[in-house]
Amino acid sequence: MTPVTMDLELTLNGSPRTVTCAPGDSLLTVLRRLGCFSVRYGSETGETGAAAVLLDGRLVSADVLLAAQAGGHEVTTVESLNVATGELHPIQAAFVESGALQSGYSAGAMVLAAQALLARVPDPSEWQIRDAFSGILDRETGYVKVVDGVQRAAALLRGEKPEPMAPVIVERLTDGGGAPVPEAPAARPRLVPAADVPPTQVVGAGAAKVDALKLVKGNPAFVDDIELRGMLYAKVLRSPHAHARIVAIDDAEARALPGVHAVLHTFNTPRVKYASGGQSWPNPRPWDQVSFDDKVRHVGDRVAAVAAETLEIAEEACRRITVTYDVLPAVFDEVEAIQPGAPVIHDEDDTEGILDASRNIPRDVNGQTVPDEEVEAAFAAAPHVFERTFHVQQQHTCPIEPAITIGWLDEDERLVLRSSTQVPFHARRMVAPLLGLPVKQIRVIKPRIGGGFGGKQEMLLEDVVGHLVLATRRPVRLELTREEEFVSARIRHAQTVTFRAAVDDEGRLLGLDHRVVGNTGPYATHGFTVQSVSGQRGLSQYNCPAKRYHADVAYTNRPVAGAFRGYGAPQALFALESLMDDVARGLGVDPVELRRKNWVRTGDPLDILPALGERGAAEIAGELPRVTSCATDECVAQALRAIDWERRNDPTWKQPPDRPNIRRGVGFALCMQATAIPNLDMGGASIKMNDDGSFNLLFGATDLGTGADTVLAQIAAEVLGVEADDIIVYAADTDMTPFDVGAYADSTTYISGMAVKKAAEAVRERIVLRAARLLGLDDAGQVELRNRQAFAPDGRSVTLQDVALHALHLDDQEQIMATASHVSGESPPPFAAQTVEIEVDVDTGQVTVTKLVMAVDAGVVINPTTASGQVEGAMVQALGYALTEDLVLDEAGRAVNAQIGPYWIFRPDDTPPMEVFLVQTMEPSGPFGAKSIGEIAIDGVAPAVRNAILDATGVTVDDLPMTPERVWRALHA
Amino acid sequence: MVTVSAYARPSTMDEALELLAWSGAVALAGGTRLGGDTSARRVEVVDLQALHLDGIRAEGEHVLRIGAMTRLQQLVDSDLVPEVVREAARRERPSTLRAQGTVGGCVATGDAESELLAALLVHEAVVHLDTGQGTDALPLEALLAALPVGPGRIVTAVTLRIDGTAAAAHTARTPADRAIVAAFARESERGRRVALTGVAATPVLVQPGEELHPVGDFRGSDEYRRALADVLTDRVVEAIS
Repeated sequence: MTPVTMDLELTLNGSPRTVTCAPGDSLLTVLRRLGCFSVRYGSETGETGAAAVLLDGRLVSADVLLAAQAGGHEVTTVESLNVATGELHPIQAAFVESGALQSGYSAGAMVLAAQALLARVPDPSEWQIRDAFSGILDRETGYVKVVDGVQRAAALLRGEKPEPMAPVIVERLTDGGGAPVPEAPAARPRLVPAADVPPTQVVGAGAAKVDALKLVKGNPAFVDDIELRGMLYAKVLRSPHAHARIVAIDDAEARALPGVHAVLHTFNTPRVKYASGGQSWPNPRPWDQVSFDDKVRHVGDRVAAVAAETLEIAEEACRRITVTYDVLPAVFDEVEAIQPGAPVIHDEDDTEGILDASRNIPRDVNGQTVPDEEVEAAFAAAPHVFERTFHVQQQHTCPIEPAITIGWLDEDERLVLRSSTQVPFHARRMVAPLLGLPVKQIRVIKPRIGGGFGGKQEMLLEDVVGHLVLATRRPVRLELTREEEFVSARIRHAQTVTFRAAVDDEGRLLGLDHRVVGNTGPYATHGFTVQSVSGQRGLSQYNCPAKRYHADVAYTNRPVAGAFRGYGAPQALFALESLMDDVARGLGVDPVELRRKNWVRTGDPLDILPALGERGAAEIAGELPRVTSCATDECVAQALRAIDWERRNDPTWKQPPDRPNIRRGVGFALCMQATAIPNLDMGGASIKMNDDGSFNLLFGATDLGTGADTVLAQIAAEVLGVEADDIIVYAADTDMTPFDVGAYADSTTYISGMAVKKAAEAVRERIVLRAARLLGLDDAGQVELRNRQAFAPDGRSVTLQDVALHALHLDDQEQIMATASHVSGESPPPFAAQTVEIEVDVDTGQVTVTKLVMAVDAGVVINPTTASGQVEGAMVQALGYALTEDLVLDEAGRAVNAQIGPYWIFRPDDTPPMEVFLVQTMEPSGPFGAKSIGEIAIDGVAPAVRNAILDATGVTVDDLPMTPERVWRALHA
Repeated sequence: MVTVSAYARPSTMDEALELLAWSGAVALAGGTRLGGDTSARRVEVVDLQALHLDGIRAEGEHVLRIGAMTRLQQLVDSDLVPEVVREAARRERPSTLRAQGTVGGCVATGDAESELLAALLVHEAVVHLDTGQGTDALPLEALLAALPVGPGRIVTAVTLRIDGTAAAAHTARTPADRAIVAAFARESERGRRVALTGVAATPVLVQPGEELHPVGDFRGSDEYRRALADVLTDRVVEAIS
């Protein structure tokens, strides 16, 4: 196994280098070994672009190039631009300003792509930018802000001063304002202000991300960007079978391989039951997993894990493990899985809490607002009943950074896990019993994360790494390949959904009946909670006197479902919003007017929530939770105007005379999400003041690229009268920061934000007391903090530095600091209107989306740049859900498209134009009036596209994704 | 991942052919396919980058010679290349892989979904090979039917005819996605050619009324691919008529 080596001469960032490498080393591997951490792993196929570098000035993917190929050539990485500490190259500055960076995992590649393009074309068109960036996938921004970043950079390099990234102010249509939207680049969010929002300094401004410098310079910041002496590489042997019992494992040959340090499997590890979904204690039952089970339940399931000196040795060791399987029949479809006679996936006797193991139903979910008789009576008496069954697929989260964990024992022999996780505190608590360690012996660190979208709300690799660290007493690194990410990380639940609506002649809803079979794969993880949220979302956004929900969660032998942005809502809203268009068509009314008669507004009850287990303040008081802020009417008005809704009644637009095979249509969908789980999601924050009047802000909330760190810094800065860059953020680290549930359920801005606000207010209280003393004021209440100073009413001031130095060094010394936490009894929903414009080729079934518009009521938006970036990125993910993304299995359960290319996520050069409106409401329970924005934008695109196809062609497509063939079949049925 | 156990960069054709004669040796053009190959095979690579096989030049009025190591992006950027071929080259791979992938690599890997190969087929592409003893020239369709190329020969260039009128049409899940089926047609004094992707193991030339036997997959069943072939062929033929 000793590889031959070769000496390679190349020029790296302007300096000649001689590098010793193996013939098979990729250029990515060698560059990272040389300390170019900006070049990052995204896939084996060169399709993500995270590893893009310049080779003789051309942008190429270093992951598919052999290092040897670069011999004699010039290689350039973004490190070449990093000449001055703390300073940015104009291209880097432009990317920061535009909001083009979310996680920043591929920031180095993007900056290089811009550099290479602008060297050739100083003033590129949008298309030239999109084409040049077609090799750099961004699962995060929707590319709108990437294009803006390049245009900004081009302007800066030409010596011009681009316009600042300020929101474009749009008049409120429902208040009678009718002025057209001012012309501005798409990247600038359209902000529709509300009159009752008080003025703020830092909140509401598009502050640059607080983590921008490390990202845009490609500094080592992500899990893999560390070097540990003696680190071992782990590899997991995965099941080739969809369902099989492991009869025997012969690991002698693997163990005998030089360089192998540990081989773990079911016959040499303890059997401790758990559920891998990252959720609050106690994790929902059933706990149907063990680290290494004696049964495999999907292709890609864990069989064994190896730690070895190199990845190649670990892979070879995996090949040398002989496993004897007793192969069992498998079932993949959720409806088939719960029929009598289907293969039983959990026949073990040590899993508690499976509702009906013999029918593969781990849990069911039931909730209704009135008894069955009243539901049935509502349907029986209704003049119109509509019913349709939909199928939605498994969509993968596809973060560009795959799951990765590096573990080691620290100097106190405590286990440290540096992990790409959304839930460090949950992961620590959940991994402890599996390893037989007390929680206090474990520290989980979440550094920068290259996107998560829910997939990393899971204790996915930490137990394997922990086991291997304890077995070897060496640092161990485990990173999933892209294929492993597809088949063994987590994926959105497929569902079969039947929705029934009873309506009167005027289109008012009289009854809604929502039935689901949810496909959780072989483990229940998030199965119960996702299916619960489907019911909450399917039955909340319209008023209706009789609502009923039932879901069966089904075990199957598909890859394991888990959390994914939207968490049950995209499935429910595809079905509901599609059915609403069917109802409108059946009654012959405009689809928006039909909905307008029914949608909830401020004060309306959210009556299904208590029936589906929510325990907020209202429920505890025996009341129904109600909508506390809602701008649906305004969102709808903006979204309809921006898509030019009335064109649906213009025959020459819909059927262009010069293109006989084309039909055009517009589609609509209404959306609603939640903001955190009431009385469950909790976050803590602590703030301390430094000598110079700056502050350290520590919290457990996990920024995955969302901009959460920035938003939380802005909230602290607003309270403390400083700028966001006076706040030094550190998160998240179970040893250092307060607890937080982590990034899910849209809780960070609302819950963690309020914790930060409370902590900042407590710090502020100490500051104004001391400032009053320095200013000679009797009443500290008269002190105002702004511009890094404390002001007396007469205009005299002291700086916060004066206050800090006084507190730390001079008199009655104290550390000005505070810790606070927050939990909310409310979960104020954000609302949104989605519109789309499409073209259908009726001869081939090809659907082309030509415009996306979303108007969102997310309360008071703390940072319009990052918030609109969230909406844009989520819409592109939703477009994939609508049209392409589907993990397809063959008859044996093997994925046939477990690579980025065949699976297909939207690229810069095929994403349609989009426009985002942020419609303000003042949410009384949120920090500075904020609600959530991270998830809602993934809900509306699929139903709006489906409804636009209906508008364009008169046919319905009820299965996702709406591939050309499915549309063609509907057209030719 | 494919395991590369040795790397060589010959500077002469003879040396390259000699190295390629070893079992397990493979020719490396741009490397984007080999580098992205996730199979477990073991290979010794012979990098052709030092053989000076790149470049695009006109040979007479109607013929263009494209060196095997010409990168896809060079095709996209060249005014000499017919528009239909430039666009097919652009659609072939994303920017990063276009900047490294080559025409020769594309020909030698015979990708079933390659729109560039279909575009070359209708432009009467001829593949030029060096066999050590001399040179050989094969119509592209003949080479595709007889892949792999090696071991005793190396693709050195592709020539195509650039007279006449050509058109392309395709159906895909998204604007940039690879086509489920793509159709290309070209009409010149020497006749009409129609080529399709997505209906056979490689892109193929088809005759009017020829019965097709596509193999369906998750992006399109055999029945759907046949229907697309009909629709798209009609469109491209109409466009050049």
